[in-house]
Amino acid sequence: MLTITLQDLRFRARQFVIAVVGAGLVFAMTLLLAGMTAGFGVEIDQTVAGLGAQSWVLPSGSVGRIAALSPMPASAVSTVRHTAGVTAADPLIVVPQAAQIASRPAQSVNLVGYRPGGLGGPGETVTGHGVAGNGQAVVDARMKLAVGQNFVVSGHRFTVVGVVSDRTLLGGVPNAYITVTDAQKVVFGGRPLIGAVLTTGVPTTVPPGYGVYSNTQIEKASLAQLASAVSSINNSRFFMWVIAAIIVAALVYVTALERTRDFAVLKAVGSSTALLFAGLAAQAVAVALAAAVLAAVLANFMTGLFAQPVDIPGSAFVVLPLSALIVGLLASLAALRRAASVDPSTAFAGA
Amino acid sequence: MAELEVRDLTVEFDSGGYKVRPLDRLCLDAEDGELVVVLGPSGCGKTTLLSCLSGLLSPTAGSIMFRGTDVTGLTGAALGRYRRSTVGVVFQAFNLIASLTARENVIAPLRLAKVPRHQAAARADELLAEVGLADRAGHRPGKMSGGQQQRVAIARALVHDPPLVVADEPTAHLDHIQVEGVLMLIRKLAAPGRLVLVSTHDDRITHIADRVIELVPHFTGADRDPEELLLDRGQILFAQGDRGDLVYVVEEGKVEVYRTRADGTEEFLALIAPGNYLGELGPLLNLPRSASARARTACRLTSYPLRAFRQHFPVDRSASALGTVARERAGTP
Repeated sequence: MLTITLQDLRFRARQFVIAVVGAGLVFAMTLLLAGMTAGFGVEIDQTVAGLGAQSWVLPSGSVGRIAALSPMPASAVSTVRHTAGVTAADPLIVVPQAAQIASRPAQSVNLVGYRPGGLGGPGETVTGHGVAGNGQAVVDARMKLAVGQNFVVSGHRFTVVGVVSDRTLLGGVPNAYITVTDAQKVVFGGRPLIGAVLTTGVPTTVPPGYGVYSNTQIEKASLAQLASAVSSINNSRFFMWVIAAIIVAALVYVTALERTRDFAVLKAVGSSTALLFAGLAAQAVAVALAAAVLAAVLANFMTGLFAQPVDIPGSAFVVLPLSALIVGLLASLAALRRAASVDPSTAFAGA
Repeated sequence: MAELEVRDLTVEFDSGGYKVRPLDRLCLDAEDGELVVVLGPSGCGKTTLLSCLSGLLSPTAGSIMFRGTDVTGLTGAALGRYRRSTVGVVFQAFNLIASLTARENVIAPLRLAKVPRHQAAARADELLAEVGLADRAGHRPGKMSGGQQQRVAIARALVHDPPLVVADEPTAHLDHIQVEGVLMLIRKLAAPGRLVLVSTHDDRITHIADRVIELVPHFTGADRDPEELLLDRGQILFAQGDRGDLVYVVEEGKVEVYRTRADGTEEFLALIAPGNYLGELGPLLNLPRSASARARTACRLTSYPLRAFRQHFPVDRSASALGTVARERAGTP
């Protein structure tokens, strides 16, 4: 039966190639969507880790979302700095804004205000150097700005002095690191307010009305902000699997329809229904696995086409063929019913 | 006891809600080594008979005994063994698997019977050489002529060296040159140890047969005179599925035409009044009656052989409005 199955695959090569390409593209999309979901977490992790803090001091009751921090007095920095357990403390402001860059349309950007030389900076720059004073900015490469170029936020002009990579939030929105003073001007009209106090060392006590958050808590809370987007993407992934299953099922079912006479003859010469099913299932699995391989290749090429970070987890490449196997088997069920219902006496029917 | 004994074989099935009986109490005998030709027009039940003989169709009634085994009583694994090893089938449309080469088509039933690959390949090569296709073993059916495909089909039917080979219209799709080769091969197959049954509507094949079984009866008296027929109320004139050569003209009384549905209920079709006729299409087209006729009242009819009917009732009467209506409503009784 394996020979018959393989020869039929060869005989219907065009049909199978079309199905493999179709299912492969859909599988590739599922990989990319998995990468997008993972990308949300990865970008938050990279940004938070890049800030260099061990803990965050925020107003009590804060949810802890990095891009939605509640304002607090800047004086809290000094208080926290002198708290037991703290080795360093610096202010941080993170606010989503719109930047105007020359003739381009307004671009979303996350303004990150920090104390140059202190905690909350972007880390190593790819080109240029860190922020040294007001009016300067270090931007993520996704802003597509080079050192020396300018952008304007709320009427404040900034000159790019450095470019970093992998510093984004909210699904690929680039961060722009500026001084905390500049951030206060842009966001709070110059008032002495900040979004958080970052520390190295963990404060044993904090002033009344404040709470201590770990990086993990901040990341988790920030990711929760994207829960509905993640949920939508996961739903889309589910539908992608269904579509892939339908593509494979349609192919195998059409093949089963075309092979009705073959099945009748095979039954007439001694094949069991179980053997016919094994053949059909093998075809479905072969198509699904070939599509999975194609998808893995395509997905690697397609990650760069998306604005937001796409970080396909290695496990997805293991899960994909296993899932494809299941998809193939499920897809062959409809064809099985067809094969099982074939009456061997129909082999006698004329051409 | 004959090698093959078919007794009262009846096959009945539903078709469009009506009962159809392609085989009705068929009996036949055949001996080992014979080439038996089953002759009849399309629709007379030849293929149904072969399906039953090859264990692919269960008859409604009757029995098939082959070499002392009741084929109609076989089920499950025993039926599977019978299909695989006792009977070889040559299908009308060749029915080779298009994706496989000639050799692979012959190997397929052997591999399904778990014959080791090298043994199966050797047997396939041997059989293809026997049917004169050793040089075409690697070709797919699409690259072979009809005659070559039929010879591959014959080779496939012989893989288990079955004692019974059935061939359904083996020459139906072949030109006369190919027919000759296939018939010679089939004639050669019928030898001691193997019984071959061939169904055909082509009576030229009967010349090479040891035994001919005609599934459609020959009616005598095609030139006889019309006869008067008296029916009591409720008496059946003819039944659905019967074959007949007579057309009836109602002289007195009324005859109702009806069909029997698959569930046994009757469907009224027409009431034939005096001066009208019924039952001409069955004899005209050599088909079984598609409906039954029964006297609604006491009747007097005249029965005509088809030729006499045409002579006595030229077109103007037989195509009269009433007659046409009755005929159309009655279908083809």
